[in-house]
Amino acid sequence: MTASKILATPARFPRVLLPPTLPADPINLDAAVAAGAFNALRAAVEELRADGVIAALAESGMRGRGRGGLPLGEKWRACARAAGDRRYVVINAYQSDPAVVTDRLLLEKNPYAVIEGAAIAAFAVGAGEVIVALRAEATNTIRVVQAAIDAAEAGGYIGENILGSGLEIRFSVRPLQGNYMLGEETVLLKGLEGKRGQPEQQPPYTTTRGLFGAPTLIHGPQTLAAVPAILAGGMAGFLETDPRAFAGTILVQISGAVARPGVAEVPFGVTLREILDVAGGVPNPHRLKGLLVGGPSGGILPADGLSVTFDHDSLDAAGAQVGSGSIVVLDQHSCVVDLAAVLTRFCADEACGKTIPCRIGLRRLAEIGARICEGQPRGDEIGRLTDLSLDISASALCDHERRATLSLLSVVRYFRDELDAHLLRNTCPAGVCQPKAETRAGAVS
Amino acid sequence: MREPTLRPSPSSPPSTTPTKSVEPAKPADWTPIEPTPVVLPLAPSTPTPAAPESRDQDPAEALRRIRPAANEKAVWNRRAGRPDARPDARTPYDTVVPYDESLAERLITTQAPQRPLSTPTFRMEIDGNVVNGTEGQTILEVCRANGINVPTLCYEPKLPGFGACRMCVVEVEGEEYPPISCSRAAEAGMVVRTQTEQLRRLRRTNLELIFSDHNAYCLPPCQNKCPSHIDIPGFLKANAEGKFRESARIFKRTIPFPSILGRVCPAPCEDHCRRDEVDEAIAIRDSHRYAGDQVLEAQKSGIEPPLPFETEPKSGRRVAVIGSGPAGMAAAYYLLIAGHDVTVFERNEAPGGMLRYGIPEYRLPKADVLEPEYEAVWKLGGKLECGKELGKDFSLDDLRDQGFDATVVATGCYDTNKLRVPNEEADGVIDGLEYLKIATLGLPYPGHKGSRVVVVGGGFTAMDCWRTSIRQGAKQVTLVYRRDMKDMPASSEVHEAREEGGTAIFQAGPTRVIVDAKNKVTGIEFIRMQPGAPDASGRRRPEPAPGTEFVIECDRVLLAIGQGPDLTWIGPGNEGVASVKNRLSADAVTFETGRPGVFGAGDVRIGAATVVQAIAEGRRCAYAVDAFLKGRDLAELRTRETLTEWEAGFLSIAPYTDEPKEARHRLKSLPAKERSKTYIEYEIPYTAAEVMAESTRCLQCTCEALGNCDLRTLGIEYGTTLQTLEPAHDQGAGFRSVTENRFTGANHDYIRDDCHAFILREPSRCIDCGRCAAVCADVVGAACYDFMRTGFDTLVTTPLDMSLNDTPCVSCGRCAETCPTGALMLKPRVLEKYDVDESRCILCGICVDACPYDALRGGQDNELAHTGRADPEIDLIGLAAVDRETEVTYIRRERDWLVHALAEGRIESPLEALPELPQSLVGGPGKRPGSGRR
Repeated sequence: MTASKILATPARFPRVLLPPTLPADPINLDAAVAAGAFNALRAAVEELRADGVIAALAESGMRGRGRGGLPLGEKWRACARAAGDRRYVVINAYQSDPAVVTDRLLLEKNPYAVIEGAAIAAFAVGAGEVIVALRAEATNTIRVVQAAIDAAEAGGYIGENILGSGLEIRFSVRPLQGNYMLGEETVLLKGLEGKRGQPEQQPPYTTTRGLFGAPTLIHGPQTLAAVPAILAGGMAGFLETDPRAFAGTILVQISGAVARPGVAEVPFGVTLREILDVAGGVPNPHRLKGLLVGGPSGGILPADGLSVTFDHDSLDAAGAQVGSGSIVVLDQHSCVVDLAAVLTRFCADEACGKTIPCRIGLRRLAEIGARICEGQPRGDEIGRLTDLSLDISASALCDHERRATLSLLSVVRYFRDELDAHLLRNTCPAGVCQPKAETRAGAVS
Repeated sequence: MREPTLRPSPSSPPSTTPTKSVEPAKPADWTPIEPTPVVLPLAPSTPTPAAPESRDQDPAEALRRIRPAANEKAVWNRRAGRPDARPDARTPYDTVVPYDESLAERLITTQAPQRPLSTPTFRMEIDGNVVNGTEGQTILEVCRANGINVPTLCYEPKLPGFGACRMCVVEVEGEEYPPISCSRAAEAGMVVRTQTEQLRRLRRTNLELIFSDHNAYCLPPCQNKCPSHIDIPGFLKANAEGKFRESARIFKRTIPFPSILGRVCPAPCEDHCRRDEVDEAIAIRDSHRYAGDQVLEAQKSGIEPPLPFETEPKSGRRVAVIGSGPAGMAAAYYLLIAGHDVTVFERNEAPGGMLRYGIPEYRLPKADVLEPEYEAVWKLGGKLECGKELGKDFSLDDLRDQGFDATVVATGCYDTNKLRVPNEEADGVIDGLEYLKIATLGLPYPGHKGSRVVVVGGGFTAMDCWRTSIRQGAKQVTLVYRRDMKDMPASSEVHEAREEGGTAIFQAGPTRVIVDAKNKVTGIEFIRMQPGAPDASGRRRPEPAPGTEFVIECDRVLLAIGQGPDLTWIGPGNEGVASVKNRLSADAVTFETGRPGVFGAGDVRIGAATVVQAIAEGRRCAYAVDAFLKGRDLAELRTRETLTEWEAGFLSIAPYTDEPKEARHRLKSLPAKERSKTYIEYEIPYTAAEVMAESTRCLQCTCEALGNCDLRTLGIEYGTTLQTLEPAHDQGAGFRSVTENRFTGANHDYIRDDCHAFILREPSRCIDCGRCAAVCADVVGAACYDFMRTGFDTLVTTPLDMSLNDTPCVSCGRCAETCPTGALMLKPRVLEKYDVDESRCILCGICVDACPYDALRGGQDNELAHTGRADPEIDLIGLAAVDRETEVTYIRRERDWLVHALAEGRIESPLEALPELPQSLVGGPGKRPGSGRR
C-alpha cells in the first residue's frame, strides 16, 4: 500500500476522486457497487448512449488533468469521429515523476471509479480495449487494479458483454519499465507498442492516430475517475456553489517545508495559499522562499506568488505547470539556482535523445546552470540561458523539452537577486553552492 | 540447426539455384534426413518425420508433413494464384529467401508512395506563393515538389518524417509553435513561411548545438591549400603502411606526376599543416616524392605505373593538346583516362615545356625523373608531335581540319617582361629564360664562365638563373630583388644559394643599364626601394627612395622579372580566341575560349604560376573537355563548382595535447661546395623507413564525408561555422574549432570503428538523426542500429556498441548512403578490387539493387556488369586561391632554417644569415642599415 497521508480538506472542497466514504477494502466489488459504483456506466449504456455521454461531458466544461488540459468533450468527440476500425482507451497511470504517488494512491483506494470512467470513455468513443499502463515497480497497484478488473469482469460490468448490452470492452494491465519520458503520451504509446520511447509530433493527435495507428483516447486515472461523478451529477452541485475556472478536482502532493506533507484533493482554481493551508502552512523556523510547482519540469514560484490559482492557464502564465500535481515548498535553506540546475540536469539526462534541442540543448542549459552555481560564468550566461530556453521551447517536439526549461527560466524571472549573488558577489544566499571567487581565464563577466 | 533438414541426394547438383523448370521436381531428387529428433517449438504436435518410404512421395508433400509452416506457405501460394507444388518452393535447406520476400522486392515496395493521379489536390500558400499540394503530402513534400528549399538533416525521403533534427521547422499561420514540416500533413488553405528571421534563428541555434557536440573536423588544411586538392592524408596513410604504389595512385587521382612535383612544388600545403600545432609540419612534398620514385624504380623493371582510375572505353573523340608542359600533359593524362585520343603538339625538340627548359637539372633530373614520369602519358596512348609550333607550323583551323574534336591550348608563358629602363637592349642583357633553355640542357652558356652576373628578379626563374650561373662558374653572381626576401615565392632556396656562393640584395630596383662605347654592359644602376601603400593583392607596392642609387659593375645581366604568354599566333587561321590583359581569354571553370571546342589552360590563361597550379588547371580543363566531348552541359559544371564551398570554414580541432612529439625527418643535402659545381640533384632522398616514419606523423585530420556533408553545407549556409571562428564573435571568445561556439560544453569523443570491411563508423561525427537506424530497419530489414542510452549520451549505434561485424549487417551500404555527415562512410580505399565468382551467381540482382555506388549494374540479360566508380566530386572542385605565405610562416621557416643550419655547422654566426652586399657596395653610396654584413 502506498504510504502517503491523505490530508483533510475544508468542507467547501468537494471530494470526488477520494471520497471520505470509500469502503475499507478497495477490491470489494459489492461494497463499491453499494456505494454507487457503475451507476454512471449503466446510465451511459442504457440511457445516454455515446452521443449523450459526450454531450454531457462537453456541457460540464471539464478539462483533462494532463499537460494539454484539453476540454474532455472535444477530445472524446474527435476520437469518436476519427476513422478507424479499432479504437483504444489508454489509462496513463505511469506517473513518471518519481516523487509523486497520487495516481497510484487513487488506483489503490478507488480502482472502480477509474475502471468505470474508462469503461464509459470506451463506450462513448467506441473502443473495445482499455489498457492500464502502469509502472512495473508499482506491484501493489498492479495487484489491486488487476483484482478490481477481474472482479468487475466477473460481475459483468466490463468484459465481453457489459451490462448485458452485447458490447465488449476488454481491460488489460500493462506494466511498463522505462524512464521519465513515458509520461509523455506519444512516448507511452511507443512503449506499449514495444518500440523505443520517442515522441512524435502532434498533430496528428493521438485521438486520430494513436496506439498502433488507431484512434486512441489517453487519460490519466484522475480524469477518468471524475467522469462517473460528472455523469451522476456529482459535480453539478459543486459547479453551482463554487464556479471556478475549471470544473473538477485534482490530487496534489505537497512536500517540503510544510507542517503536514501529503496528498490532498483540491478543486481546480484554488490559490496556492489555500493548498499551503491544507498542508498546515510553513512552520517556524522555516521561512517560505518559493514553491516548485509541477514536478521536475515545473517552475519555481516566489513566496509572494501564493495568490496564483492552481489551474492550467494561470500556472502557465506564472511560468509553472500543473504537471504531476506536485508542490514542493522551499525554505530559506534551499538554493533555487542549484535546484533549477539539478532539475534541468535531471530532465536532460532523462530525455529520450530524439531531438537536438532536447538532447544537447537541455544539457547545455544544465551546464549553464552549473556554471552559475559555481560562480564561473562564461560571458552573459543569463542572456544565453534565456535565448536558448526560448529557442528550445519554440522548436520543441514534445512538452518534455518545452517544460524542462521552466525551472531555470522561472529563476531568471523571479529570483534575479539570487542569480546576481552567485554571479557578481560569489555567494549563495542559501549556503548550498560554493561559487568560487576566481573566474576562468578569458571569461567575461 | 533447429529445423529438420532435407539434403539433396548425391546425384543432384549442390546448387542453391531454384530450377526454372515448370515441371514438378522429380521425387527421386530429394531425400529427407532421417530420423530427425528435433521437435519444432511452435508445433508440438508435429507428426513423426517422414518414414523412409516417403522417398517416393512428392517433396512438397513430405515437407508439409514435416513442417506445418510450409503448409501455410502453400496456402499462400494458392491464394496468389500460383501452382501448389512450385518447383522453386521454399525448402528448408534453402538459404535463399524467396523472391517475394527478397530485399529487392522490399526495396521496391518501400520507395516513396506512388499516389494515383486521381488523388485530390488543393491549394496552399508557401512563402507568398500559391502552390498546389496533393492530399496526403506533408508540408515538406509540397515545398520540395514546388522547388522551395527547406533544410533537413534527419529526413529520409524513402521513409515517413522522423522529426528529430528540427531543421525543417516552418511557420504556419495561426499556430503558436512552428511545426516540423517533414511529419506534418499539408492542408488546404495553409499559409506557410519557410524562411523567417525567427526560423533561421531556431535553425542556427540547432546547428550550434549540434556543432558543440561534434567532435570532428572537415577539410584538412593541407588539402584545402593545395591548388589541386590532393588527398594528402590519403597518400600519407598509404605511405605509412608502406604501400607506396597505392600512395602514388592516390596522388595520381589529382596530379599525374608525384616525382616531378616532389621536387619542384613550393608545397603550399606544408605551410598549413596541423601537425605544426604539435611539433613541425609534415614533409608532404618529400613523402610523395618518395612514393613517385618507387613507381619510377619499378618502371625500370617493366612494371607499369599505377592508374588512378580505370580507363574508360574509347570514345573515338580526338583531342589536340598544344604544349607539353605540366598543364598540357595533365590535361592529356586525364583525357586519355576518359577514353579520348590525345595528340600533344610541342614546338621544341623534346616534351616538357618549362619543366624541361626552365627548371635546371639539379632540381629536376630530366632523364631520370621527367622522362620516365611522362611515360605514364605515352603508355596510355598519348601521341606526341615535336617541333610543331602553333601559329607557325599549324593553326587551330588546321587542327579542326585534321579532325580534332577539341583543342587544349596550354602554351605557357615564355615572353620575359621588359625592364623598361634605358639601354635594355645592350649587349650582355640576356633573357633569363633563353639562358635557362641552354643551361638546362647541360650546355655551358657562351662566355658565362668567369663573368660577373647580375640576376634581376625574385621568382623561381630568377632563383634558377642565380644558382645555375653559380654552377656555370660565374665569378660573382648577385641577385637583386625589388621586394623583401619574405615576398619571394622561392625564399626557401635563398639560403641554399648563398651557401653555394651567391649574393642577394633585396629592396632595390634597376634604373638603368650602364654600357660602354660598344654598347656592352659594364654595370647596372639600382635604386633602393621602400614599401609603399598596399596594392589590390594586399602586398605593399615597393616605391623608390630618391637619392639612394648605386651601381653594381657586371658583365651580363639576366632578366627574370616575370613572363607573359606569347599570343602573337592569334589571328588568321586562329580566329575566335582572344586575349585579355595579355593572357589567353578562357573561362575559369569551363576553360572555354571564344572559339567552340578550343580550351585554354595553364600559364597561358593565368599568367606565370607554379607547376602545381598549372597541373590543377590542366586536370580541371580535362574534365571540362570531357564534359564537352560527351555532350554534357558545361553550365552545369559551373553551377556545381560554384555551389560547392571549399574554403574550409573551420580548420582547427581541439588541441593535440596527447600527440607524441616527433621531429620532422628532413632531407639531407650534398655539401654546398660539392653541389655548386655540379648539376646532379643535391637533395638526398628518403629511405623507406624514413618516409614511413614521416608519413606516420600525419594526424589524418580529414573527414571522408567532405563534399557530401549536409551538416557542413547547412553550417556554412547558416553562418554557424564561419562566424563562430571570428575572434570578434561572442564577446571575443575567439573560437578556433568546430565544437567551440556559445554553447560549448561537454562533448563526446567516441572511438572510431573501422573493423568492418566496407563501412567506417565514426560516432563522434554522429548527429543522432536516426536515418541509418530507420533505413536499416525499415528498408533493408537488418536493423543493425538503434538509439542507445538516454539524454545527452544518446547515440545511434549498434546494440551494445558492438562491432558492425557482429550485427546482421548485409554490407549494403545504405546506412552510409543516407548518413548526412561522416559518421557512417563507405570505405572506398578498401574497395580497390574484389572478385565475383560468377559460376555461383544466381542472377538474383540483390547486389545490383543494393550497391549504393552503382558499381554493379544490370545489363541486357540482367547479367552483372562491372564498371569503374566515377571520379568522386572532389575532382570537379574549383581551384582554391593559394594563400600567399604569411609573415608568420616566413619567420617560422627562417627561424627553423637558422636552428638547423647552426646545428649542422653550415653557418657559424647568425649574422651570416643576413643577405649580404657585394664588395663593390660596402661603404659605397648605397649603404643602408640592415642591407649587408658589417
